[in-house]
Amino acid sequence: MINPLLYFLLFLKASLFSTGGFSNLPSLHQDLIGTGWAVEAEFGESIAIGQISPGPNGLWVISLGYLTYGLPGAALALLAITLPPLLVLVVATIYGRIERLHWVAGLMRGVSLGVVGILITVCWTILRQPDIDWKGWAIAAAAFGLASNRRIPLIAILGLAAVAGYVLYR
Amino acid sequence: MEKREAGAPAPTTWTILRVWTGIGLQSFGGGASTQLLIWRTFADRYGWVEAEELVRFWNLCQITPGINLVALTILIGRKLGGARGIVAALAGLLLPSAAVTCGLAAGFLAVQHDPAVRAILRGVVPATAGIMGLVSVSFARPLWRSVRSEGRRSLAISAVLVPASVLAIVLVRLPVAIVLAGLALLGVALFTPRHGLGPEHPASDPAGEGRAP
Repeated sequence: MINPLLYFLLFLKASLFSTGGFSNLPSLHQDLIGTGWAVEAEFGESIAIGQISPGPNGLWVISLGYLTYGLPGAALALLAITLPPLLVLVVATIYGRIERLHWVAGLMRGVSLGVVGILITVCWTILRQPDIDWKGWAIAAAAFGLASNRRIPLIAILGLAAVAGYVLYR
Repeated sequence: MEKREAGAPAPTTWTILRVWTGIGLQSFGGGASTQLLIWRTFADRYGWVEAEELVRFWNLCQITPGINLVALTILIGRKLGGARGIVAALAGLLLPSAAVTCGLAAGFLAVQHDPAVRAILRGVVPATAGIMGLVSVSFARPLWRSVRSEGRRSLAISAVLVPASVLAIVLVRLPVAIVLAGLALLGVALFTPRHGLGPEHPASDPAGEGRAP
């Protein structure tokens, strides 16, 4: 049985301690699998739906909310991802005051390196799912290569991946 | 309402809502499309926000918790229409796209046991991992350029810190927030400018030379 308040707080925590659309994945993964409120497959499915649907990639969390807890889950997820970015108003004010301090550049460098590490763990989290075999890795590599060409729209790459999945796994 | 520099006349709250709703509905394909549409709409088409200011906004969004594009929406909304601008921009970007996302998720629940759908997803899910791989590379690329220009010490530290953060999350299962906070502190300790060899503001503060190595 899902506790709505705790459910919301887990999503809020994941959003609050993340930067970028997917870096909340490891935290949500730890918590929702731990509480038994989500199963492994729902993460991959939400990311796929989030990739297809319009808007920031971070809206994948709304489909995770919908898949695990229906419309209330989607609404709680939407609220949880809308509140933390409001802190940008505070960040803009503070940064205006401290950007010349000598230690701020080092802090930003540390954060940037951490963000790269977190992005790599997101790829890893998706790719180590049980139903992803060597063909899945090949699709991931092909998508990586195609996406490097800015002129190919992402939706076309996802369409090709869908066709590949249908042909390879049907 | 904030003052704006020269350029196009200030949009009304309704215009802000309408423009952001258009972005929210058109940006199929995720964050990359959304970001491109924001750039084209506000800098190129209407000239409401200067390109340089968009870049500065984006940098601030990187260190703000949560989805960077939502933070960017908030900063642009505030510039165009103050508090009401923020609400209109957020509602325009998020409500239509959230509704479409729910619709797709509901459709998915209806057909999820169809073998054809399962097969298609087994293709799409790893593709999202590949796209995420490219996002990692895009984030790493500017970082790589500045680290390389700073010399071997910066290169060596970065070559240790990135894999260490991956292992800390994947193997040690440390919470992401702890890893990020740790990296921020290590960044202050290891990258704070000394002798003018810092990452961003070389020799901007002579007092930095007095710090321990």
